[in-house]
Amino acid sequence: MSYLEIKNLRKKYSKDGPLIIDNLNLSVEKGEFIVFLGPSGCGKTTTIRMIAGLEDVNDGEILIEGVNIIDKKPKDRGVSMIFQSYAIWPHMTVFENIAYPLKLQKVSKAEINKRVKAVAEATDISNLLKKYPAQMSGGQRQRVAVSRAIVVEPKIFLMDEPLSNLDAKLRVSMRTELKNIHNKQNSTSIFVTHDQSEAMSMADRIVVMYKGKIEQIGSPMEVYEDSATKFVAEFIGTPPTNFFKTRIEKIDGVLMAVNSSFKYKIPNSLVKALEKYVGKEVDMGVRPEFIDISPEMEKTEGYICDTNISFVEPQGSHSILITRIGEVEIKIHTVKYMYMKPNTNVALNVKSEKVMFFDCDSTKRIKADNL
Amino acid sequence: MNSKDNIQSTNDSSEAAHKKAIISKKIIPYLLLLPVFFYYAVFWLFPVLSGMKEVFTDINGEFTLFSNFKLMLESDLFGEAVFNTATFAAVSVVLQYFLALMLAVLLSMKFRGSKLLMFVSMIPMAITPTAVAIIWKTGLVRDGWINSFLMQLSIIDKPIVFMNSEGLAAVFLIILIDTWTVTPSVMIILIAGLQGVQKELKEAAYLFGANKWRIFKDIIIPILKPSITTSIIMRLIAAIQVWAIAVMVLGYSKVPFLVERIAFYADVVPGVDTSSKIAFTLSFTTTLIVLAATVFYLMASKKRTFSGGEK
Repeated sequence: MSYLEIKNLRKKYSKDGPLIIDNLNLSVEKGEFIVFLGPSGCGKTTTIRMIAGLEDVNDGEILIEGVNIIDKKPKDRGVSMIFQSYAIWPHMTVFENIAYPLKLQKVSKAEINKRVKAVAEATDISNLLKKYPAQMSGGQRQRVAVSRAIVVEPKIFLMDEPLSNLDAKLRVSMRTELKNIHNKQNSTSIFVTHDQSEAMSMADRIVVMYKGKIEQIGSPMEVYEDSATKFVAEFIGTPPTNFFKTRIEKIDGVLMAVNSSFKYKIPNSLVKALEKYVGKEVDMGVRPEFIDISPEMEKTEGYICDTNISFVEPQGSHSILITRIGEVEIKIHTVKYMYMKPNTNVALNVKSEKVMFFDCDSTKRIKADNL
Repeated sequence: MNSKDNIQSTNDSSEAAHKKAIISKKIIPYLLLLPVFFYYAVFWLFPVLSGMKEVFTDINGEFTLFSNFKLMLESDLFGEAVFNTATFAAVSVVLQYFLALMLAVLLSMKFRGSKLLMFVSMIPMAITPTAVAIIWKTGLVRDGWINSFLMQLSIIDKPIVFMNSEGLAAVFLIILIDTWTVTPSVMIILIAGLQGVQKELKEAAYLFGANKWRIFKDIIIPILKPSITTSIIMRLIAAIQVWAIAVMVLGYSKVPFLVERIAFYADVVPGVDTSSKIAFTLSFTTTLIVLAATVFYLMASKKRTFSGGEK
């Protein structure tokens, strides 16, 4: 039995409205750091608000330690939350803010004092306890919100885009700090964000959501290297995956992905899976770092076509080369040719084991092992 | 030696120029504000000072400190006016606040018809005090609509003669009419305040275990406090200055108030030398009372404010 289990969750805001959450299933183990990742409107915030009890559930179950909590009030669920705006009460001092949840639980004064001080110590805000929110910086308010959330010792710790109001530099350092607090408190956390680098750097497992559905659940490296759908391959990674519309054809007994610019020989591992698609269109996807370039006419194993590099964007540690194949703009991540000049003719080669094919109708990945 | 002196002097002159630039920069805001100062001097300060001159000179133009105040204290109905004004201010502000808060909370809950109810409840605001007085006067006369309505419902069987009310009864009659007129404007300030309370602040309290009453008491009211303070002061000032409705509905001297006395002495009994002195002295005294009430209220409410830095 999982620590948190979500079964067939559904949500509509109005009777005839669209499904905001469409049949969501998820299980979370104790101590995990889960990140809900997706574009705005994908239902990620709605989902954690349903776990928190701030939003009604239309259908389905949410179980914490095996107990269905959907009819319970938030305070009886054993959850706590950090809001996007922090939701620190402006008329209370930091101490009062952190103490308020305990006061509501009728904890004794001495106990409140002890617990607030301990939490403030852990989040490094002991010197701010007498201050009001208006006197503090964004980062400090964030810490107060964290303290208030952990002082109640929740079973599950929910965070709704907690870093989006901070400036870029602070956001990166708060990431590490939040993860650190998570580890120290040994808590179970669900973190919502639309920022993929935030998700990648913090998550034990990422839940990629799109239009109310889960596209993929997996570790950061899994969703990156082994994307389950076209959406995941597109949404995760900067620059995103390059896509080509191709048609699968059998030419002289060899399976090829063909479009107007190139013919690419399907790698052996995928031949079996793609044979069913002969005569059909599929999306071929290659991440920018899995495209290799070599001097023109020097064809290697994954050769697709020749092209002309139109732009070079140096990034310091690497460069992004931009070219066009047919109608599509292609971005290439290179470390080898960082000083390349624009307008150079090159040959493009893809790393065959990294090429992904997606079904055009279901957008699902066509995998070698799906027999 | 000589060259050193030269360097020194050039330094001095550049410093002087720099100072000059700073001074002219400092002057600019005052120059820009000059028209406003002028306006205030002519249209505000001058009348105030000439009014004060009246207060501290007797009918022969001789300086006096107390004789006009003595006239005022001994004038007809002065004691009643003070008592009535105090009663009116205290009762009407509390009553209007309580009603307005209830209405504001009710109307900011979204329910069927809440918008219509909001519209209806704001109608009194659009009516001028004179028209309000006429509406109520036609209602309050012996055969007015209030009596006929109450008799229709068989709550009373003989018409009540409202217009003859005296003393406290008359004050409460005016309080009722004033409440009817003014509550919507207080309500609007409170609704605006309620809508300004961020949803997440309430949700956070709910999440951590506060019920509706605790959210209202512990979160909403304290956050609303600045807008409550402002509007209470405004109401308090307006309440101390009540007179038009009283005069329009019941007439002069029926239910004396401080400002009603001013109007009475200035309008009804002009010509008598002492009456203008009494009017000026009353104005001066009322202004002082308003000022004192405001300062007192501000000080009392500032004791527990949160935006003003460390306590």
